[in-house]
Amino acid sequence: MAVSGQAFIALLPELISTGFLIVVLLVGAFGESNAGVAAGLAALGSLAVFVSAAVLLATGFSGSFFGGGYVVDPFALYFKLIVAGSAFFAVLAAARWSGRTGDAPEYLTLILSVVLGASLLVSMRDLFGIFLSIELATIPSYAMVAFDRSRRESAEGGMKYLITGVIASSVLLYGIVLIYGVSGSAQLSDVANTFTGNLTPVALLGLGLMVSGFAFKVSAAPFHFWTPDAYQGAPTSAAAFLSVAPKAATFAVLLRILLEGMPGAAPTWTAVMAFLAIITMFVGNLFALRQRNVRRMLAYSSVAHSGYILAAFAALQGGGAAFAVQAVLIYTAAYAVMNMGAFLVIDLVGEDAKNYNGLVRTNPAAAASMGLFMAALVGIPPLSGFFGKLWIIIAGAQSGSILVYIVVGALVVNTVLSVPYYFGIIRNMILEEPTSETGGSKGNGAVRFSVYVLAILTTFFGLLIIPLSALVKASGLL
Amino acid sequence: MPQQVQQFLHALVAAPPLNGYLVVGAFLFAIGAWGALIRRNAVVIFMCVELMINGVNLTLVAFADYLPNAGGLGVSYAVLVIAIAAAEIAVGLAIVLAVFRSRRTVNVDEVTSMRG
Repeated sequence: MAVSGQAFIALLPELISTGFLIVVLLVGAFGESNAGVAAGLAALGSLAVFVSAAVLLATGFSGSFFGGGYVVDPFALYFKLIVAGSAFFAVLAAARWSGRTGDAPEYLTLILSVVLGASLLVSMRDLFGIFLSIELATIPSYAMVAFDRSRRESAEGGMKYLITGVIASSVLLYGIVLIYGVSGSAQLSDVANTFTGNLTPVALLGLGLMVSGFAFKVSAAPFHFWTPDAYQGAPTSAAAFLSVAPKAATFAVLLRILLEGMPGAAPTWTAVMAFLAIITMFVGNLFALRQRNVRRMLAYSSVAHSGYILAAFAALQGGGAAFAVQAVLIYTAAYAVMNMGAFLVIDLVGEDAKNYNGLVRTNPAAAASMGLFMAALVGIPPLSGFFGKLWIIIAGAQSGSILVYIVVGALVVNTVLSVPYYFGIIRNMILEEPTSETGGSKGNGAVRFSVYVLAILTTFFGLLIIPLSALVKASGLL
Repeated sequence: MPQQVQQFLHALVAAPPLNGYLVVGAFLFAIGAWGALIRRNAVVIFMCVELMINGVNLTLVAFADYLPNAGGLGVSYAVLVIAIAAAEIAVGLAIVLAVFRSRRTVNVDEVTSMRG
């Protein structure tokens, strides 16, 4: 089987990210003080990946390549856009900081290889290809978390993330191998023939182990315990990027595995997803309430938001299935802009809740952005998070199952539960008096630019919702 | 050695049943997982993780050999899995070294500056 020219076009985003990855790494090899050049090239690279995916999407390019193991459809391209877009902001946020560490090209290479792994991941239709791409996205992320040598927490967070991560990877791999064993093939279309209403115990064990592995990767409770330590220890740009891009790609591939590989077993796995969604939402929000460190609070908030997305997975049955897929796509985009923005504000202000006291008087622009992100994370209309939650609630209402109604009820309860800690920050910024600890104007132009652009995207997400919903309707999955 | 035992051993060597490999693989995985959960030294935890991955790999190779139409594909997956395990450990040992430099210990329960 020869590799056709079409296959090269299909792989364009991945080829571009590989190319820039090598170039950025070489910049590091051939010069000590080339941080600016490396950052520029990395930003250009993630923009090029974004543009190539957008062009493929606009021209309606789609097809199945490499023996059916690799697929390009609007669904995959949509997630490549999210991954590349968030990588662009992560590179901007990391440019100055990574220059100070003296290892800018290496750090930026790690970001680009996560982009490569995540954008391969969303296109994979082969279980082992999926495992390889997940690892390609995860192994660099361990290094990203542990990259900050000036803070002791960084290596500690990296070690905790790594140890739990490699254990979860082998659990995921065991699940994949068992599924491969019972279905005789790693292709999702062949897996679908085995995974019907009646599952053998081995198939059930394989499904359980695989879902546990994925639950770890998206930090769903009870597999979330690495998240707060990893995000608190990680450099801000790493926490912002890793809480968005690999997570979005993992949700995408989980959606693809469940819908293309196991549609017959939907009653089994929607029940598992409903269970995971409910405990993830509660654990995330209840632990976030106790935090004084904003970075740790946002880590728990990202756990809670994984729970909201899993609520859409629970609705993937009955009449609401098609709408639930759209809900996952909309929510991921909405979450990407607001969560990245909130994390990047930490670079401007600081990670302690005290740093936000009276910020509205000392740094009104940062305070306004943070206020917008917090309100969006709660789900206040018309900000981005509102549309994500709206789509999930509509999908749940259409599903017609009692279990999904319970999940949607838990989502509403959790939205209320999350108000105190998000609005606590806003309250601190407006009502408290500024102190010596209040964050002044730290950070640099690139970080400020990213924060403001993301704030604008969060605010005007409602204007994008009409083209976005047309796009996700034609996503090609269901 | 009784005749029946000898016959059984010959049959085992001639065509070991798939289940035997799967049980050994599951045992390796379970031993590794148990060790990874109870050990405190990060380097020993990595060794346990290697045991888990090798248990999975044994399962994979056994399936690849017994499945009717898998061809050589399963074995090539196993090679990729070995490469991934090596990459994980390479990054892992680097991070463990970084932790050791700042704290003079690699015991996971002593490295706890972040809580809550």
